[in-house]
Amino acid sequence: MFESMRHLALFVLKLYQKFFTLFSYGSCRYYPTCSEYAKWQILHNGLIRACFYSLLRILRCNQLFPGGIDYPVITKSFRKNSFALNTPQHSVNIRFWFVPKNEKSFYVIKAFNQSQKGTP
Amino acid sequence: MIDKLSNQSRIIIATVLSFLFFATYDYYFIPKKDIVDVNQTQQTQSTTSNKAPAVENSAVSESARKVPSNALKNQEEVIATVKADRYELHIDRLGRISKFYLNEEKYKDENGDRIQLIDSELKPYPLEMRFADENINTEAFATPYVADKSSVEVKENGVKVTLTQSLSDLKIVKSLTFYEDGNYDVSISMDKPQKYFLTPGFRPNVAVDSYTFHGAFIKEADDTHTPIEDGDATGKERFIDAKIAAGADKYYTTALYNFDKGFDVVVSVVNEEAPLLFIKGSGDLKIHGYIGPKEYRVLHRIDPRLTDIIEYGFFTFISKPLFLLLSWLHSMFGNWGWSIVAMTLIIRLVLFPLTYKGMVSMNKLKELSPKIKELQAKYKGDSQKLNAHMMELYKKHGANPMGGCLPILMQIPVFFAIYRVLQNAIELKAAPWIFWIKDLAVMDPYFVLPIAMGITMFVHQRITPTNIQDPMQEKIMKYLPLIFTFFFVTFPAGLTLYWFTNNLFSIAQQYYVNSLFAKKKEVEIATTKKAKK
Repeated sequence: MFESMRHLALFVLKLYQKFFTLFSYGSCRYYPTCSEYAKWQILHNGLIRACFYSLLRILRCNQLFPGGIDYPVITKSFRKNSFALNTPQHSVNIRFWFVPKNEKSFYVIKAFNQSQKGTP
Repeated sequence: MIDKLSNQSRIIIATVLSFLFFATYDYYFIPKKDIVDVNQTQQTQSTTSNKAPAVENSAVSESARKVPSNALKNQEEVIATVKADRYELHIDRLGRISKFYLNEEKYKDENGDRIQLIDSELKPYPLEMRFADENINTEAFATPYVADKSSVEVKENGVKVTLTQSLSDLKIVKSLTFYEDGNYDVSISMDKPQKYFLTPGFRPNVAVDSYTFHGAFIKEADDTHTPIEDGDATGKERFIDAKIAAGADKYYTTALYNFDKGFDVVVSVVNEEAPLLFIKGSGDLKIHGYIGPKEYRVLHRIDPRLTDIIEYGFFTFISKPLFLLLSWLHSMFGNWGWSIVAMTLIIRLVLFPLTYKGMVSMNKLKELSPKIKELQAKYKGDSQKLNAHMMELYKKHGANPMGGCLPILMQIPVFFAIYRVLQNAIELKAAPWIFWIKDLAVMDPYFVLPIAMGITMFVHQRITPTNIQDPMQEKIMKYLPLIFTFFFVTFPAGLTLYWFTNNLFSIAQQYYVNSLFAKKKEVEIATTKKAKK
C-alpha cells in the first residue's frame, strides 16, 4: 500500500512540475526546489517522514528564511554487502549520492548529469 | 492439515470464515433498526390516464416507500394559499408545499415569470408525511387534508394555518406558522403516536450546474457539516440528533431545522442517486423550516446558525470570511462589482509586505548581475547545475529574489475560496457592475471581460522575466492566456472581473518593479560615465 501511495505522490509531483509550475515559476528560494526536494525525499525516505520533511521545507520557503542550498536528509541503513566489495567493475550510472551526515542519516545529492534535464 | 493446503485454498477458507463471522455478528449483535432495508427495484406503476404520481421510488421504509396506488387523484389541488411580500406558497390536498414563488424583482426568469422553487416532476414535496404502518400510509395518501383558511396574508408576527387529516382511527393536525422571511414553524400532533417520516422535500431544481454543490446538507449533533452531493448518496446514511436537514441547489434551499432539540434523519436515494432526507417522527413533532434563496442576510436574520446551509465546499473556512468581507464592502459601495474590485485590492495589499521584501532583494541582486550572467553562460543547457550555483550565490550575498513556495501555495486555497464565493453567492444574482454588466452571476454577454482578462494576462507574462527552459512548458505558457480566455467565456462575470482586476494589479506591481530596475540602471550608467570622464 505504501508503495502505491509513493507512486501516486511521485505522479502528483510530476504533474505539478509539468503544469502547475507555470503559475509559480521561479519562486522557490532553494536548491533543490521544494518539489524536487519532496521527490528525493519520497524516493529515498519513509513516506511519512518524507511528507513531514517536505512540509517543513515548504514552510521554510518564504521571505523570512535565507534560502539557498538545502539538501534533503534521510535515514537509511545500507546492508554491508551492498557496498564496495560487490560493486561491479564497469562504470555505473550514479543518480544520487548519499553523503553521511552522522551514523544513520545521509544527505541526498543528485548527481549532475549532462544528459539529464533539471526540472524547476 | 492446514500446512498441506495451498496458499489459494487458505485464502478461500479465511475469506469464508471471516464472512461467516461477520454474518453471525451482524445477525445477533447489531441492533436492528426499525427501518427495513429499502428494496429499490420495486416501483409503483401507473397508467398515463391516472393522475397519481408516476414513479415514486423514493422512500424510507418498505411500507412508506411506495405511495399507494389508490392515492388521491387530484392531490395537487391547492387547499391553502399563503401570500407574503416576498413570496407566495401553495399547500396541496396532502398537506404539502406544492408551489413556492419568489416575488422579488431579481428572482425572475428569462420570460419575466417569478421563479418557482418546487419542481413538479421531483417528488416528494416539502412536508410530505409517510407512515411506517402500511395501512395508515395507504389511507393517509387517499385522504385529503382540510385547511382552516384557504388564503392568508403573512404579517409581521407570522400567520398560522392549521391542516387536519382525519383517518379512520387517527387524526393528524399539522399547524404551520409562516413568517415574512420564508421561514415557518411546523407543529404536528396526532391523537395516537405513530411512526412516520417527514421530508423537507426534494431539493430545488432551479440553479443546477456541474461547478457548484447540489444535493443534501446535514448539520449533525456535534455541529459537523455533512454535505451529500447528488450521486454520492448510498441510502444507508443515518444521523442522530441532527440540527439541520436541507436540500439545496446552487442558490436555493428547502430545509428543516431545530437547534434546541435534535432530530433523526435518514437518507433515501432517488433517481440517479440524489439524496432525499426524511426526518423520523413518532407522535408529536415540533420543527422549523425554511424555503427560499440562500441569502446570507435573510438566513442570518432568521437564525445566525442557519447560515451554515451556505456551503462553499472544502474551503468554506476561508470562503466564509471572504464573503463577509465582500458583503461588508458592499454595504459601503452599494455595488457588488466594485466590492469585488476592492476585495481584490485588499487581498493584494495583505500580501504586499512579502512582495515588497522580494522587490528590495531584487535591487540587491542588481549588483550581482555580472556574476549571474557569467554563471548563465557557464552552465547553459544544464539548468540543474545553474540553479544550484545561483542559489549558492544568492546565499553568499544574502539576496534571494525568489518569493518562495509558501506564499504561492497559500494563495491556492484563497483562489479556490474566492472562486467558490463568486460562484455560489446568490447576492451576485442580477447584481450589476457598470455599463454592459447587468448580472455578475451570469457570463458576460459581449465577452468583454474574458477577452480583457486574456489580454492582461498576456501583458503580465510579457513584462515578467522568466527563464523556462523546457520547450513544451514554454509553449503551454505562451498559449495559457488564450486557453484561459476560452475557459472563462462561460464563467460568471463576477469571477472574470476578479481575475481581470487581479491581473491589472499584477501588471501595475511588475511595472513598478521594472521601472525601479530601469532607474537603477540609468544611475549606474551615469555614474560609470562620470567616472570615465
